[in-house]
Amino acid sequence: MTLAPQKGRALIVVGALASVFTALGFRLFDLHVLQHKELSALAQANREQVVHQQGRRGEILDANGNPLASSLSVRIATADATVTAPQAADIAQKLAPLLNMDVESLAQKLSGQSHYVRLNQRDKLDEDIVQKIRAMKLKGISFEDQFVRSYPNGSLASHVIGFVDAEHKGVQGIEASMEDYLQGQPGYEVIERDRKGREIRALRTEDIGPRDGFNVVLTIDQMVQHIAEQELEKAMAEFKPQAGVIIVSRPKTGEILAMSSRPTFDPTNMDAASADDRRNRCISDVAEPGSTFKIVVCSGALNEGIVTLNDQFDCENGAFMYAGRILHDAHPFGVLSVEEILFHSSNIGAAKVALRMGPVRLADYIHRYGFGHKTGIELPGEVSGIAHPLAKWNNLSITRIPMGHEIAVTPIQMLMAMNAIANNGVRMKPLIVRSIVDTDGTTIFQYRPEQVGQVVTPRACQLMTAALRKVVSPEGTAPKAALEGFDVAGKTGTAQKVENGQYVSKYYSSFIGYFPASNPEISILVSLDDPSGGAFYGGSVAGPVFRAVAEKVAEYLGMEPQTPRPEVSKLS
Amino acid sequence: MMKRNRKREPLRFGTVTRSLVVCVCVAVSGLCYVWQKNAIYRLGDEIKKRETALSSAQKRNLMLAAKLAQLESPVQLEETCQQYNLSLVAPRENQVVRLYEPGPEWDVQMANAPLAPQQAQARLQPRNSQPRTLATQ
Repeated sequence: MTLAPQKGRALIVVGALASVFTALGFRLFDLHVLQHKELSALAQANREQVVHQQGRRGEILDANGNPLASSLSVRIATADATVTAPQAADIAQKLAPLLNMDVESLAQKLSGQSHYVRLNQRDKLDEDIVQKIRAMKLKGISFEDQFVRSYPNGSLASHVIGFVDAEHKGVQGIEASMEDYLQGQPGYEVIERDRKGREIRALRTEDIGPRDGFNVVLTIDQMVQHIAEQELEKAMAEFKPQAGVIIVSRPKTGEILAMSSRPTFDPTNMDAASADDRRNRCISDVAEPGSTFKIVVCSGALNEGIVTLNDQFDCENGAFMYAGRILHDAHPFGVLSVEEILFHSSNIGAAKVALRMGPVRLADYIHRYGFGHKTGIELPGEVSGIAHPLAKWNNLSITRIPMGHEIAVTPIQMLMAMNAIANNGVRMKPLIVRSIVDTDGTTIFQYRPEQVGQVVTPRACQLMTAALRKVVSPEGTAPKAALEGFDVAGKTGTAQKVENGQYVSKYYSSFIGYFPASNPEISILVSLDDPSGGAFYGGSVAGPVFRAVAEKVAEYLGMEPQTPRPEVSKLS
Repeated sequence: MMKRNRKREPLRFGTVTRSLVVCVCVAVSGLCYVWQKNAIYRLGDEIKKRETALSSAQKRNLMLAAKLAQLESPVQLEETCQQYNLSLVAPRENQVVRLYEPGPEWDVQMANAPLAPQQAQARLQPRNSQPRTLATQ
């Protein structure tokens, strides 16, 4: 009798429990079976973290393996400015002395709207400073390791090396042209962290290490570069030109041993460098070459057999009327041989040689020497120069181009033309990158000297060398470029500058020479833009700079002076 | 009847032993699993520490290499020379003695050169009894 109500209540409880468990069962089924894919992915995402690792950028090395640019890993402090903004002043007060920063600028960084602000850009934070900052438990402040680019030699060869931007990407120079080789490949790790934020190493599921970038080995020798820069600096102080360049190369291979340009910049302090400072004038500045261009017309004429070194030309005592305009020489000359035209640098003589040669052949030699075309050096920003096609020449062109007017060339083009004469007429492509090597030193790619073509015959080059040797003799235009112990062949250039379409009393003073003349090993170009202080002739301004560079380079490279070799029997 | 009979039935030693062995095996397996897991985590921590140490050493190495490059740079060397007034200069040409690599030209000249008495004596002796030196070539 009493069981009926109890049974009813029991049924209700059982029914309720059954309903609850059924609901739970359905929920579990829903979570574990129906939504399994989405939820497991969500759980994994909550648990796991992908840590990206930056590959180290490759080094730029000189010809002897000395680093010219390398990447260092430094710990930097970062801030989430949206978190630090309310207490920016207070945090800045605490951090500024530790980060060696100005309080106001730091407070400004901390009070922005960005979620990611780098506090110290380049200075390395020592571990004890990191611990001190961590101990302060400042919200929104964290640390990360980052690579920064280091240039151990400061501004040495900065125009060649270039620099990188904030994202560690090459902007100029080798840093930009070799970007594909230099940049490292990033890696990543999929990790799990404990509640203290430490990685649980055993639960690391993926570990793809970053690959370091390849190293780029240049033909630049940092010691030769230093010599060139030191002498250029001295010349800048002495003659106070607006700009100056020195290039040192090996004529037989086209290897560039030094490439120096002024004004210059420090790649570690790009804020202080103007666009003008950053320009590599050796490849991107064009100017009328002046008398150095006489090597083109004379070598061409000798090569064609149109003239010999002894052929005589009347230099009209310094004033030659042609096509209604008078062409002047710096000094009046009477009758000169081709050899004398070269070492006295007679404009009228060169013009008369060109007239005998004819415009078609002259234009052909300008093209053969590579003017009006990029040399193909592995540096960004090279320009072609201006060499008008024959169709655009006027009546005066045939007399003006031989003296280096109506044509604009880069210093590297002019040096490569002189190198062709030094190299028995073979024009070489300038070589500035020697090889690409990996971090173990294994060569990935080797750049080899590349012949562009035979411009003139070896015989014509021998004749040119004989004439150019006299340029540094006492009766030539550059006796101050002569070297003790070595015979030098070279050519001076003093080109008037053009401003607003008019020739003005400003000059490009230059000297290009090679030595030993009988077996050239080194060629050097020196060019100064608008030297002041009275002297402006290439022989008196650029000549002594050439000599100073050549003496030191010969000494450094251990080049044996051309004195009689000691008898072998004496050594025994 | 059956219940009563089962209660009265004595425990079988084999059954108990088997149960115990199974329990012990399960317990040992569990302990081993936990121990191994601990070992994996511990080794993971060790690996992590070593990785961190290796990374720090590599970074330090890079720093030192950069510092060395800076110290060896021509600009720095020159500044140091001036700072300590070392008066270092490159040797003049007349202070340099150049040594030439012996080549075919050397061999020909030495073969034709008149020999000193000791050298002539040495040349007459069998080659294996006399050490080959520059002077006897």
